[in-house]
Amino acid sequence: MLALLIAGLLCASPQGLSDADCKKLHDSLKPPAAELWRDIPWKVSLVEAQNLAAKEKKALFIWSMDGNPLGCG
Amino acid sequence: MSLAIDQWYTRRQKDSEGDYYRKICLQSPQNNVNSTTQGLYLATPDGKLLGFTNNRSPEWVREMLKKGLAKYEPAEAALLENKNPDPNFNYHLPEGGLILTVTSKVLSGYQAAVNAEVGFFQNSIGRDVLWLRKEEHQALVRGELMESLKRRLAMYNLIDNTRGEPHPWTVEEIKKLDLTLKNGVISGSVHLSNETGSRSYTCELRGTVEVKDGKVTRLDLVAKGPARGASGCTTNSMPKGEFTLAVACRLATGQDEADKVMPQGAKSWFPDYMR
Repeated sequence: MLALLIAGLLCASPQGLSDADCKKLHDSLKPPAAELWRDIPWKVSLVEAQNLAAKEKKALFIWSMDGNPLGCG
Repeated sequence: MSLAIDQWYTRRQKDSEGDYYRKICLQSPQNNVNSTTQGLYLATPDGKLLGFTNNRSPEWVREMLKKGLAKYEPAEAALLENKNPDPNFNYHLPEGGLILTVTSKVLSGYQAAVNAEVGFFQNSIGRDVLWLRKEEHQALVRGELMESLKRRLAMYNLIDNTRGEPHPWTVEEIKKLDLTLKNGVISGSVHLSNETGSRSYTCELRGTVEVKDGKVTRLDLVAKGPARGASGCTTNSMPKGEFTLAVACRLATGQDEADKVMPQGAKSWFPDYMR
């Protein structure tokens, strides 16, 4: 029991976030692996997307926001 | 073909990419390119608008796409070139730098959601990236944490961006920035607060840095603690009173298109962001 207590104290930061807390928290903040909107092969370069659309003769769908939809809140 | 952009940059760009985007906007209800042009557009490769909506409900978007695609006649189109990208709105990671992916979440403190949309925001994960300069990367390899990196992390990433774009913290709002790197472990605490204390975040941080062959191969970091208030557009549906905010950083894999997005903080002023 004493050994466990000492190990726990050694793993914790002075402020109290233990390695186990950190890993759990870090994992919980990963974006979900399966998000429908992320299945769409988005491009973030307008030139690249337009060039691909032109080559493949496809229409261009633009999701234009304040803050990039792939990298903002 | 699907494109996700931050219109704040694109509508301002004085280059062929900006010209192309504005041409599409001017055919839509968002035809004032001096203000926000956010929305969902469908266009031909040569820039003819086929459809537009600024309603993000699946039904509205599906209907817009259906009607727009019905009008679309595939044809030859010139490839857009951008030989002289506007340097004021095209930023690049400095050579030898690093990209960290940063996520955030409000863990507790919300009142009951009044509708599904508010509930969505209450459970959302904020996303951003943190760019490191070569010197900061090299310092990490040596086992050191540069003050500039600590400051950038605090100002631009220790924020609640789960409901949109908050303002970064100012240098004056950094009340405590105590972070150390020792034996591959980052630890410490940070206190951020505006003048009145109506917006604040006090967090503990802990993380791991691993290095191999002169490069950082792993950087996992978490921050957690009590926060208050919000800023900018993120005040909508913000938690009332104290809430728990967590932030996590990890090395970008480079495999995700989102890794190419410029840091949100660069919007303030890129040279200032990277200093």
